Amino acid sequence: MNDLWSGLSAPVQDGLWLLLILLPAVVTGVLVLRSLRPWPLVRAMLWRFRGPNLLFVLLIAVAVGLGIGLLAQERGLRAGTAAAADKFDLIVAAPGSEVTMLFASVYLQPSDVGLLSGTIYDEVATHPEVALAAPLGFGDSYAGAPVVGTIADFVTYLSDGAIEGRMFETSTEAIAGAFAPVGLGERFEPAHGTGDVALDADNAHAHAGASFTVVGRMAPTGTPWDRALIVPIEAVWEVHGLANGHAPGPDGAGAHDRIGPPFDAAYFPGTPAIVVRSEALWSNYALRSAFTRDAETMAFFPGAVLAQLYRVMGDVRQAMSVMALVTQVLVAASVLVGLLILTRLFRRQLALLRALGAPARFVFAVVWSYAATLLACGAVLGLAVGWLAAALLSRVLSERTDILVTAPLAWPELHAVAGFLSVATLLSLLPGLSMRRLPIVEALRS
Amino acid sequence: MADGLTVSDLEVPGRGGRMLLSVEALSLAPGQSLGLRGPSGAGKSTFLYAIAGLIEGARGRVEWNGTDILSLSPDRRGAFRAAHMGFIFQDFLLFDELSGIDNAALPALFAPRAQRPGIRLRAQEMLGRLGLSDPGRGVDSYSGGERQRVGVARALANDAAILLADEPTASLHRAAADALIEDLAGVARGQRTSVVVSHDPALLARMDRVITIADGRMTDGDLAA
Repeated sequence: MNDLWSGLSAPVQDGLWLLLILLPAVVTGVLVLRSLRPWPLVRAMLWRFRGPNLLFVLLIAVAVGLGIGLLAQERGLRAGTAAAADKFDLIVAAPGSEVTMLFASVYLQPSDVGLLSGTIYDEVATHPEVALAAPLGFGDSYAGAPVVGTIADFVTYLSDGAIEGRMFETSTEAIAGAFAPVGLGERFEPAHGTGDVALDADNAHAHAGASFTVVGRMAPTGTPWDRALIVPIEAVWEVHGLANGHAPGPDGAGAHDRIGPPFDAAYFPGTPAIVVRSEALWSNYALRSAFTRDAETMAFFPGAVLAQLYRVMGDVRQAMSVMALVTQVLVAASVLVGLLILTRLFRRQLALLRALGAPARFVFAVVWSYAATLLACGAVLGLAVGWLAAALLSRVLSERTDILVTAPLAWPELHAVAGFLSVATLLSLLPGLSMRRLPIVEALRS
Repeated sequence: MADGLTVSDLEVPGRGGRMLLSVEALSLAPGQSLGLRGPSGAGKSTFLYAIAGLIEGARGRVEWNGTDILSLSPDRRGAFRAAHMGFIFQDFLLFDELSGIDNAALPALFAPRAQRPGIRLRAQEMLGRLGLSDPGRGVDSYSGGERQRVGVARALANDAAILLADEPTASLHRAAADALIEDLAGVARGQRTSVVVSHDPALLARMDRVITIADGRMTDGDLAA
C-alpha cells in the first residue's frame, strides 16, 4: 500500500488528498440529500435573507481568504528567499554569525563584519575544486541602491550572462541591476554607507570625485541584487583610499588599468565574503570543511542556514496555521449562530412543510443545504480573496525586500479550504438538528 | 375515495394539566363536510390539528378509514398527511419567493419520486380550474383571493381525500371570500371529507354539518354521522 502510494506522482497524491479531505462533505451531502429536492426552498431562504446571507458569505470569505493568503505568502516568502540564495552555493567569510553574513552577501543587508585577507582569498581562488571565487565589497550606496563590488565572472554567473550592454572593463564602469535607479549610459557617484547614513551630508559626498558609468544592465534575477549597482571590487577599494588588489607596475603605474583576478595578496585590502562556486556539487562539502577554520575563516551553505531559519519559522508557521484555522472556525460558528436565528424566522414555513406531511428529514435537508450553501460559497469566494491577498502581500514584500516573492495558491491552500468545507458541512448539521424537534402547531400559530 | 372519520375519547391536555380539548365521540361519513364554529380560543383549531395528528400528547383515538393516526409514529403520521390530507390556512402560508405553480406543487418536493410529476400536473390543473391564469408569476404579486386559491390548489395537489381548513376566508374581503367558498364547494363536494374551522356564516352554511365548540367541548350540533 505504501509502495503504491509513494509510486504516485505528487499532483496525483495531492489530488487524492483533496478528495479525501472533501470526503466528509460529500458523504454528508449525499446522506442528507438522498432522493430529496430541497433546492427550490433553499433558494427561497437564500433570497429572503439575502442581506444577512451576503454578509455571512463575505465574512467567511475574508476569514478563509486571509488564512490561506497568509499560508501561501509564508510559502512564497520561503521560496523567494531560497531562490534568491540559489546562486550562492558556499560562502567563505571571517568567523562570526552565519545569518549576518547570509543577509549581507545574499540579501545585501550589510553589517560590520570582519575581513578576509588576500592570502585566504588566494587559497580559496586557487583551490582545485573551486570554479569561481568572487570577493564581495559593500558598504556604499547610491539613491538607496547598494553599490557592491565584485568580479566580472560573478556578474555573468549571477545573471546567467543576460546583460544588456556590456561587462565593466575598468574601475569606473558599473553594471546595474534590472531595477537599479541608474539607467544604461548614466553616471552616478556612490555615497558612503547605506540608508539614512548615506543621506548624511558628510557621507553623501565622502567619495566625491569617484563616479561610475553604467555600461551594462542585468536581466531580472528575482534577488535583491536587482536593485544593486555592481562595480569592480577594485573600485570599492580605491574609493576608500586602499590598494586595489594589484601590484603597481615597474613604473608605479598600471595597477589602475587592471581589474579582476588574479589578485596580489600583498595589495589585497580584504573582503568580507567570498562567494564560492565549486566544480561539482559534492565538492562543496569538501570545500566547506577545508575553509572552516577556528579564528580564521568560516564556510557555510546559505541554503543550510536558510533551512535552519525556516525550521525556526516553521513553528511560527504552525502557530499561524492553527490561529488561522481557529479564526475560521470561530467565524463559521458565529455565522452558524446567525443562521440559527434566521432559521427560526423561517420556522413557520418549516412547520408548514411538516404539517403538509414533509418528513423531518426533508426539513432537515432544507436547513442543512441552506447553511452548507452559504458556508461553501464563503469558502469558494475565500479562495479568490486568498489569491488576491497573497498577490497584494507578495507585491508589498517584493517591493520592500527586493526578493521576488510570488505566492500562487497551491495544493496546501486547496487542502485547507477543503478541510474548512468539510468541517463546515458537519457544523451545518447543527441548525438542521435544532429544527428536528420543531413544535409544529406552536410554530404554525406563531 | 374519501376517508371517513371516527373520533373517540380525544383529549388534548395543555400545560399545567388543563384540558384544552375533550371530545368523547364524533364521526363523519366519507365525503361529508363538517363546519366547526365557536369563540376564539375555544379549541376549534386545536381539534383540527389534533385530527391531523399534529399535536404531540393528544390522547384517544382518531381513525381515518380505520387508521388511528394518534397511534402512528411522528414520521408515519407525516406520511399519512402527505398521502391523504390537504391543509388550507387562514393566512395562506405561501412561500413568497416561489411562483404560484411552485407553491401549489410544493408537496412534490418531498413526495416519492414516482408521484412528483402527477402532483405537479394536478397542481397545474387545479390552478387552472380555480381561474389563476398566470401561475408562473411570483405569489408576492397576487391578491389575497388569488393567494388563497393557490393555497387550495396546494391542499389538493396530492389528490387528498381529506381537506382540513383553518379559517380559509378570514383574511379575504367579502367578494373574494364568496368566490373561494364556491371554489371550495366545487372541489370538495362529495369527493372529499372536509373539516373546516370558520366564523364565516356563508361558509358554514355550505357545510353538511356544523358543530359549535366552546371551552374545549362540543356543545351543540349533531355529533354522530
